[in-house]
Amino acid sequence: MKMEEMSLSGLDNSKMEGIAQDILTDLVEDACLGLCFEVHRAVKQGYFFLDDTDQESMKEYEIVDQPGVDIFGQVYNQWKNKECVCPNCSRSIAASRFAPHLEKCLGMGRNSSRIANRRIASGNNTNNKSESDQEDNDDANDNDWSYGAEKKAKKRKSDKNPNSPRRSKSLKHKNALLGPKRRVENQESPCVLLRDEAFPQ
Amino acid sequence: MSKETQMRAAVNQKLVEMGERERLKELLRAKLVECGWRDELKAHCKDVIKGKGLEHVTVEDLVTEVTPKGRALVPDSVKKELLQRICAFLAQQSTL
Repeated sequence: MKMEEMSLSGLDNSKMEGIAQDILTDLVEDACLGLCFEVHRAVKQGYFFLDDTDQESMKEYEIVDQPGVDIFGQVYNQWKNKECVCPNCSRSIAASRFAPHLEKCLGMGRNSSRIANRRIASGNNTNNKSESDQEDNDDANDNDWSYGAEKKAKKRKSDKNPNSPRRSKSLKHKNALLGPKRRVENQESPCVLLRDEAFPQ
Repeated sequence: MSKETQMRAAVNQKLVEMGERERLKELLRAKLVECGWRDELKAHCKDVIKGKGLEHVTVEDLVTEVTPKGRALVPDSVKKELLQRICAFLAQQSTL
């Protein structure tokens, strides 16, 4: 269409409005039709009434909003202070400390090998004879898994470098066979147990 | 064809060509959802379907029952806004 034929200024306002109204009517009708098609398809495909649940089921799964209870109505911290028995050393450990303890006890996880290596390093400085028995660091790690080695580890701890930054922390805990790692405070991940189950004892 | 009819045809064509019609359509849809028109009309559809029976409902049934109500239910504010946009577009076109 050429521009001269498009001179809308030739039309008066009411005609303009009339055209605009018609365009609007068309658009609204499009919207209505769209909805009809959607609904009809939903009816024929069988999903139109899916979101209508009966009152009884609605009440059953209503969100719970009470203190001390989660939205399903279950108490969520009742297992916090229970005690678990470690399958490795047969000690009774508090639930929130269980995962980190297991990590150290089984000799898995990032930190346990680091600690073991550090112990070996300090053991090398003071107690050369016992360390020369082991071939390499890996074997030293294995040694730590048995209870007897842990006693040795306890003893060696006192030989540690007195200037080490961790010194003051390890003295605070009597249970510190392997030294607590403050960084991984509340490690509740059960995935530690899923790793390599067979290990030499 | 009268000049006015020609004019209308030209306007519609321009509307489509410039993509303005699609934009207007989307704007209208969004506004209608926002103001609850869609949910109201859907509820009305439910009544119609329950009346006619789930198995026997046809598109024509829905269209004839639903469209007039739909047209009536559009709130004035939405109509006004759309009209404003259309008029602005038309004014733009007349100056080109």
